[in-house]
Amino acid sequence: MSKASAESKADVDPGVLARARARVLGGASQAVTEPTPPGVVAASDGERVWLLSAWPDGATPALLEEYDTAPMPLDRSGQARRVLAAALRCCWTRLDDAPWPGEAAPVQAVLEVYGGMSRGDAELARRWATGELRRLSDTGWLLLDEAAGVVRPGPRVALWPDDSLGPLRDLLRRLPEPPQGVIAGE
Amino acid sequence: MSEAFEPLLRSYDERRRSELVAAYMAVEHAAEPVPEARFAGLREPASRRTVEAMLNLSGRTLIRADRTSWTSGYRDEVAAELARDPACVPPAGDRAVLALVLIHSVAIPRAAGRLPDDTWLSPHPTPLEELRRRSQLPIGELESALRRLRLAGLVTQVRADGRTDGADAGGFVPGPQFHRLTPAARRRLQEELILAAGPDSPLAATIRARRRSRERAEQEAAARRETSAERAGVEQGDVSTQDVREEGL
Repeated sequence: MSKASAESKADVDPGVLARARARVLGGASQAVTEPTPPGVVAASDGERVWLLSAWPDGATPALLEEYDTAPMPLDRSGQARRVLAAALRCCWTRLDDAPWPGEAAPVQAVLEVYGGMSRGDAELARRWATGELRRLSDTGWLLLDEAAGVVRPGPRVALWPDDSLGPLRDLLRRLPEPPQGVIAGE
Repeated sequence: MSEAFEPLLRSYDERRRSELVAAYMAVEHAAEPVPEARFAGLREPASRRTVEAMLNLSGRTLIRADRTSWTSGYRDEVAAELARDPACVPPAGDRAVLALVLIHSVAIPRAAGRLPDDTWLSPHPTPLEELRRRSQLPIGELESALRRLRLAGLVTQVRADGRTDGADAGGFVPGPQFHRLTPAARRRLQEELILAAGPDSPLAATIRARRRSRERAEQEAAARRETSAERAGVEQGDVSTQDVREEGL
């Protein structure tokens, strides 16, 4: 590293840099034993901890709706929401608890539930849903392990305020039940 | 971090406080720059200073998009620091695809006078076929790169508009994140594009010369600081005071 860059490095406060890093990585994880930088939300599952940006006064980006302001667009957002709901139906099994950290569920089970929610070509629906699981995993809403064929809730789910979960619980109770006997990895 | 915001927000009454929080969330999370007419927290310089201080806590800054609308982005020194961290830099394939989109959707139309000078948004899509041919990435990798770039708001997919003259066959344009560049970041990106597209051009030579002299000046300044710090250490046994004084020069 040149002297000039060493100089500029000293200019950025380490706490500021840690929070900027958490934002740019959007929910990166580290071992629980590593120190958590101050001023970020730490969502832990006991083994690892995911670092997320914190917002003032309990606000969430949903606040934009009140101001008629569009959030970052999401392609096929309806489908993404339905696949997220299908995944939560399988991973958030004790609905009275918080959705995070939830449990790992077989991807096959999620695809089954999603298939039961949608009309039309079942094979096509599964293919769409598989792509959607990847996008939801890229954005931290789910944690997808394609090799093991399992999916879990993502750390961003931990940011949902508890008092906003009621309607979501009601919705999930109305979704088709996950199939019994589908084993992870099969 | 809610506690981190507290010292900045404490002195405001409830209404002002919620206006500031709304303005902060809007510039951080809206897809496009937000009009100050809609967000009281952005209307006056004093409240903008508070929003700026809130953003500064995580290395962000307010960016004026046009006369009356605002967004946020990384401060230049923070962006430079993040760019040195391999974990924070997108994979080479993603960057290559993004560079191709910038060349086709911005640099070429700009050179032809079809796009104004200081914008990184463009109505001219780069066709998927062009990306496939020029990137030399296998189609699976190209599609994953485009998926990540779209999710990050770095590119936007434009659907074909159905016209038969082929004027708009659909493709990809730079995404809404390009609103979030600071003036210095826009200038740097412009320079990088010139260096990439015409490395032997006189303009590229000028850019390289300017960068060399800036680097030299920074190194000299750093060396001066070091020397005076050493001298101060010997003379007064107090490095930091002298350092601070030098910084102020």
